[in-house]
Amino acid sequence: MNSGVQSIAGVPVTTRLAMKMEDSLQAFAVRAACFIGELDVPFSEEFDGHDYGATHVIAYIGDEPIGTVRVRWFKSFAMCERLAVMQRFRGNQVGQLLLERCRQLAESRGCNMLYTQVLPSDTGYWEKQGWRRLVPEAMSQGGPKPIVAMVKQVDPNKPLPEVEAPEAVVLRREPTLDSRGIPVGAIAN
Amino acid sequence: MTVQMTDRMSNRPVVTIRLASTSDELLQCYALRAAVFMGEQQCPYWEEFDGNDYSASHLMLYVDGEPAASMRVRWFSGFAKLERAIILKRYRSLGLFVPFVEWARDFAAKKGYPKAYLHGQKRLWEIFERQGFHKVNDAPFHFSDHEYGAFVADLDVPEGAPSVFSDPMLLNRPEDQLDRPGVLEKSMERGASNPHAGWNEKRAN
Repeated sequence: MNSGVQSIAGVPVTTRLAMKMEDSLQAFAVRAACFIGELDVPFSEEFDGHDYGATHVIAYIGDEPIGTVRVRWFKSFAMCERLAVMQRFRGNQVGQLLLERCRQLAESRGCNMLYTQVLPSDTGYWEKQGWRRLVPEAMSQGGPKPIVAMVKQVDPNKPLPEVEAPEAVVLRREPTLDSRGIPVGAIAN
Repeated sequence: MTVQMTDRMSNRPVVTIRLASTSDELLQCYALRAAVFMGEQQCPYWEEFDGNDYSASHLMLYVDGEPAASMRVRWFSGFAKLERAIILKRYRSLGLFVPFVEWARDFAAKKGYPKAYLHGQKRLWEIFERQGFHKVNDAPFHFSDHEYGAFVADLDVPEGAPSVFSDPMLLNRPEDQLDRPGVLEKSMERGASNPHAGWNEKRAN
């Protein structure tokens, strides 16, 4: 499968993990531009407290940061979220490149499942890249928010087992980082 | 120096302004600027984060506790330069800009700066002129896709503004709270035990 674009208008596009403060600032800036600037998400929802337990992948055109995705690590899966690409660089498969980097990262850590939560209107984008609904659409009961849980196998040769977890459990939000109770990661294998 | 511009008992939003003084507040400032300049105005990252953020003061304005506006102030000899002033889109109808600039001018004056200087985008020239700014000269210039004019305003520096002759402890206070005792003044209760006095002897040996 094509892992995404390698250049835009002749300028190479690369991905990199955030390793330094300045790198994370770039990831946050791209997210702020897309989610706060474009989609009017309040600051306190966008920066939800999970940024310091996560891995940030950043896409660059030359040295300009143009996209980012956050990966949170759970026992049985890696959660890709906050995928953002600057508006004027969309349509160049930068998101695909970022998600492929997530897949490789998960693979290198022995993780075999990628997981994400998307808006119903975005499911087509993810399905095109090999993701599927965790719970078949017909069986989905829906939660308080219209969010669809989707998964993708890390190794194309190792299909994921069917997951029996009720969608409501999977979609549970972590109220606070140190809360007790069923962890959100308590699904599958 | 948190300014309450609205009555706490009313259901109008509570607006507070303060000098960003923690890394969280700095991140809020950067996120807001990224939202407006990169998200709305398509400014490239390296033009927006130009290397001057770590030699500047950053002012944050909150509406009901949510970060809503920010401004950067850099300190030159004899004048304070106001720049990177933004208000998040959803807060733009509240009339925050004028009081925010007023607060920044006041902040600079209380630090002892007799002038505030800024590069105003052409569409805002009238507003700055109404606020007592006047053009430095008639030569407009442009950068990052916008046309600018250089403006300056005279500030009323209050008596007792910091100088080398001020009470030394006044200069140690948080810069937006020069009028009240700071954390180091509390430390004076501990007295001067000079815990490192022996270090020079060690060095001599």
